[in-house]
Amino acid sequence: MDEHGATRPVTRRSILGTGLAAIGAGIAAAPRRAPAQAGRGKPFAGTTLNVSAWSGPYPKWLGDYVPEFEEKTGIKVNYETPAFPVYNQRADLELSTKGSAYDVLNLTFIYSSRWIGAGWFTPLNEFLSDPNKTAPDWEPGDFLAGAVAPLKDPKGNVYAFPWIADAYMAAAARYDLVEKAGLRMPETFDDIVKLLKAVHDKEGVKGFVNENHHGWTWIPYLQGFGGNVFRNPPEDLMPTLDTPEAVAAAEFYANLLRAYGPDGILSYTYDQALNSLQQGRANYITFNQAWLVQLGDPKKSKVAGTVNYSLMPAGPKGRFPGIASHGFGIPVGSKKKDAAWEFVKWSLSKDMMRRMLTEKGYGSITRRSIIAGPEFKQKMTINGRDVADLYLKTIDLAARGYMKYRTVHVYPQVDKQIDKAIELITSGQMSAREAMQKAQANSVADLKKAGVKL
Amino acid sequence: MNSQARRRAGRGPATYVSAGLLLAVVLFPFLWLLQMSFRPNEDILGYNLLFRPTLEHYRALRVGHFPRSFGNSAIASVTSTLLSLLVGVPAAYALSRGRFRASRRIALWVLATRMAPPIAFTIPFFLAYRYLGLLDTIPGLVLIYLTFNLALVIWLMRTFFDGVPRALEEAAWIDGSSIWGSFLRVTLPLAAPGLAATAVLCFIFSWNDFFYALILTRTKAMTAPVAIVNFMQYEGWEWGKIAAGGTLVMLPVVVFSLIVRHYLVSGLTAGGLRE
Repeated sequence: MDEHGATRPVTRRSILGTGLAAIGAGIAAAPRRAPAQAGRGKPFAGTTLNVSAWSGPYPKWLGDYVPEFEEKTGIKVNYETPAFPVYNQRADLELSTKGSAYDVLNLTFIYSSRWIGAGWFTPLNEFLSDPNKTAPDWEPGDFLAGAVAPLKDPKGNVYAFPWIADAYMAAAARYDLVEKAGLRMPETFDDIVKLLKAVHDKEGVKGFVNENHHGWTWIPYLQGFGGNVFRNPPEDLMPTLDTPEAVAAAEFYANLLRAYGPDGILSYTYDQALNSLQQGRANYITFNQAWLVQLGDPKKSKVAGTVNYSLMPAGPKGRFPGIASHGFGIPVGSKKKDAAWEFVKWSLSKDMMRRMLTEKGYGSITRRSIIAGPEFKQKMTINGRDVADLYLKTIDLAARGYMKYRTVHVYPQVDKQIDKAIELITSGQMSAREAMQKAQANSVADLKKAGVKL
Repeated sequence: MNSQARRRAGRGPATYVSAGLLLAVVLFPFLWLLQMSFRPNEDILGYNLLFRPTLEHYRALRVGHFPRSFGNSAIASVTSTLLSLLVGVPAAYALSRGRFRASRRIALWVLATRMAPPIAFTIPFFLAYRYLGLLDTIPGLVLIYLTFNLALVIWLMRTFFDGVPRALEEAAWIDGSSIWGSFLRVTLPLAAPGLAATAVLCFIFSWNDFFYALILTRTKAMTAPVAIVNFMQYEGWEWGKIAAGGTLVMLPVVVFSLIVRHYLVSGLTAGGLRE
């Protein structure tokens, strides 16, 4: 009988099919060696996993510990950490073709909506809820909620666990100049302007610097002024770049760059921005913690003795520091998901994360239990400033959900328009209103082209 | 030659000044890269012209994935160039000399493979390579490089063969040579400058490829251009290694081009003027 209940005639093909099915069933029913027997307590012994993540500090250092994992589990790991753009290009292609070449991949923050929404990653809930697969002491609830949030779908299923939560904060590389001017680290946007007016060009140090990716650096200002990128992401993706709040934020931020930045500020990459701070050529910045803590490293930085840190200052409507989290997940095409989960668990276990902190000095810890420990506080106290506390506060702020704009799958299109608009305003080619209206019109057109219903 | 004659020959002071300026513009990026590769790390993004040169970046390249990637680039480029010439030169000769109706159409079809952007081939090749197990292999790279090198070889060599008088081959046949004999002993030596120019171009295209290597390789067959991009690290770009790697990657092309430069000039200009 077929699925509609009709009787099929007996044909040579059906006899052959039945025979093959019987053979298949026989093979399936044949007793197999239990996995534990095969590996003598190492159920995945002999398995080979292919693992790839972009070359952030955690994945790079994790490579040093992979032999330990291989020894412990009998799993062979082909491990690679290409550069960020190289990784994303390859991973996107691999995931979009649902290939099985990789068993563990990094779920990149900026693609999280696209990669999760398209069903390219495996929901990890089934592994978490099975005590045979996840021991209770692994404690998924120990990960910072604000860092896990971008790695979930709207229903709350988690697709990866984070190894980084990069938090947006502020730093004054030459805080001595700030103190000399009788000021402190800015608490508000108005304070930023006061500080920059006081310290700009003092001792040949420019007041402000930032990278040219305004779609990341400008957003805390936009939200601080009460604006947002979309009306209500991820449900309502109508861009809101031409609102009075967005225009005011763009004008304000472009003025920081134009009036207090070094020559050629519009071409500065993050690396150049960081370098100018380390060399003491620029003073104040609002940027990512993972980079800013390098200012306190005497081996790399000439301002290690003068740098100070604070939370991202608040705008008229509040404080909205960005965070970016990346995590290990399992591509849906992987044929070795159980073994892959063993790797994910091991790589982000409390023990491994603690060792990353104590043995490698890793500063972007994502487990609360380790952040609360004395080692983290000690490592993240720079020039007497408790950067650990700033880090935790920032991630807790981000848990309110204002980062949803960033993981929307069409954000890259709007991101480009924001970059262009800030450049036009900073270079004086357009007024803030004109530039933001143009960015809005172009974003709407791009989103419609991408099939978004507005 | 007196100064008046030199001016008439186009070698007056103005010529030298213009040539110097042109050279400065052309060489500036290379010289900038070169000086950067010798700058100490702490001064790598500085603008001061005086600095204490260091070899630390070149030394740093000896460990890690760069040496192997460099070797991969060399093997893939040389093999692809040789294979392209081996397959493409006889094809070009056939299309040049063959008197069949489809020859022009075949040549156009060959050229069509150069008209599509690389991305058009990438996805089908990626899927096929994955199925065939050619991902992250040197043979896989060589094969993909053939897609653009073959068209180049066939079209360039066809033009060079067109420039070799048929009468010379016919004379060889009268002397008892076979078609292959006349091709190898008469036509090919006369088209040698073209062959050299074509080989250089094939090598450069393969050597400089980034896109295909980015998509179709991982770690084992990674090539030098991709390895250099991998120096763009999260904590900061390793400018010194990028500059040193870039300088080293330029060298083989420069050396190869210098070796065959006489052929290159005559090859590239051959066929521009016919009697």
